[in-house]
Amino acid sequence: MQAEPSQTSDNDLLHAVARGDESALAACYDRYRLILFGLILRILNDRQEAEDVLQEVFLQVWRRAGDFDEARGRAFTWLATIARSRALDRLRAAGSRARLAEEAAQEPADEIGDAALDALNSEKSAIVRNALAELADEQRKVLLLAYFEGLTQTEIAERLGDPLGTVKTRMRSGLIKLRELLAQHAT
Amino acid sequence: MEHQDYQQLLVPHSLNALEVSEARELEAHLETCAECRAELIALRDDAALLAYTAEPVEPRPEVRARILESVRAERTVDRAGAMNDKVVPLKPRANWNVWTMGLRIAAGLAFIALLIGLIVLWRRDAKLQQEVAQLNRQLNTQQHELVRDRDVLARQREALALLNSPDAKHLELAGSETAQNARGSFVYDQKTGKAVFLADGLPATPPDKAYELWFIPKGHSPVPGRIFTVDSSGHALLPEQMPADAMGNAVIAITLEPKRGSAVPTLPIFLSSPKS
Repeated sequence: MQAEPSQTSDNDLLHAVARGDESALAACYDRYRLILFGLILRILNDRQEAEDVLQEVFLQVWRRAGDFDEARGRAFTWLATIARSRALDRLRAAGSRARLAEEAAQEPADEIGDAALDALNSEKSAIVRNALAELADEQRKVLLLAYFEGLTQTEIAERLGDPLGTVKTRMRSGLIKLRELLAQHAT
Repeated sequence: MEHQDYQQLLVPHSLNALEVSEARELEAHLETCAECRAELIALRDDAALLAYTAEPVEPRPEVRARILESVRAERTVDRAGAMNDKVVPLKPRANWNVWTMGLRIAAGLAFIALLIGLIVLWRRDAKLQQEVAQLNRQLNTQQHELVRDRDVLARQREALALLNSPDAKHLELAGSETAQNARGSFVYDQKTGKAVFLADGLPATPPDKAYELWFIPKGHSPVPGRIFTVDSSGHALLPEQMPADAMGNAVIAITLEPKRGSAVPTLPIFLSSPKS
């Protein structure tokens, strides 16, 4: 998928934040709050904690926007990486992984809530979800466990009771397939 | 491992799913392999899109306000001098200024000390280099102190953000007969319960004792809060979390307890907020 044709590109926004532009930070928040909050909430499953983490994430964006380098990946990747690592850190710190065990590898929700009627993002969500739905169940499960629960391949193998080699193959083939499907959708 | 073996690790690494030892080996390979570096960047971009499978959720509008307030508070602290105008007038404000000014003075003194060292070196002979070394050691010590003070500053920033919050509620604590010179402030966010407590003029903490904060909701037993000690001037600044059922109607009190705290307060009370 290509960078979205928004008024100001994500890259320009982050560069402006790096120069200390508060309104750029606010614009960045407005653009990505739904998806990043959704991500954090999915990891933590606790609204109050998720709001704390969302605040920490944007404070980190404010302080570290100068580290963003578009040659090393998309702006969204940079933002999502910060949000995911912060949320997973919080999850580990709270030792609350157990309460998520039952929800392991839950299927993506069928519908996006009313709050998500941000046209651009919901279009992206739909593309990614459709692509993910085309993967084999086992591939999807492995990718979601790694991404939303921060499990290593070894931990996933233990969780699912599958041989480590199988998990490795599913993870690799899963992400490669996802990339191919996304490329098809983008064209 | 060969290049092809490392390539197999790129997908799990893009999801942070490698064991630490494997990740470390791959990182070493990435330093010298541009092809793997480029592939990892592309894979991370793909993996990040998994975030879009989480259901988008609207955070409460207060979160946006809190973020922008914190950013402004941070700026204000960074600009130290301009701080007075921004902070709501509260007695402990003087202490923050003293600390912030202290930091600036420490940095200024360190710089002046170094300059003096250089002038002395120019004027006198090489023997005085020893003195310069001494000054450098002092400078290092002061830098270490600055780093330590930065932690204190971080707490103060949180406190500032809280004070600037539109939902902040402020309780003044007065010293009892046991601690007539003591004063305290307890400020909390009525929505999140995030709180900060400041005290001044409390008697020095005996070695085997500690102060303990209590929330006393009307008609209920006291709920223990944080345990703390005071510095030589009887000062303390600590973050707190207001229990949900204490919000709005609780008296805040401070007692002296055994070092590890107590489950019920021991009289006398040192500081307390007025009964609501």
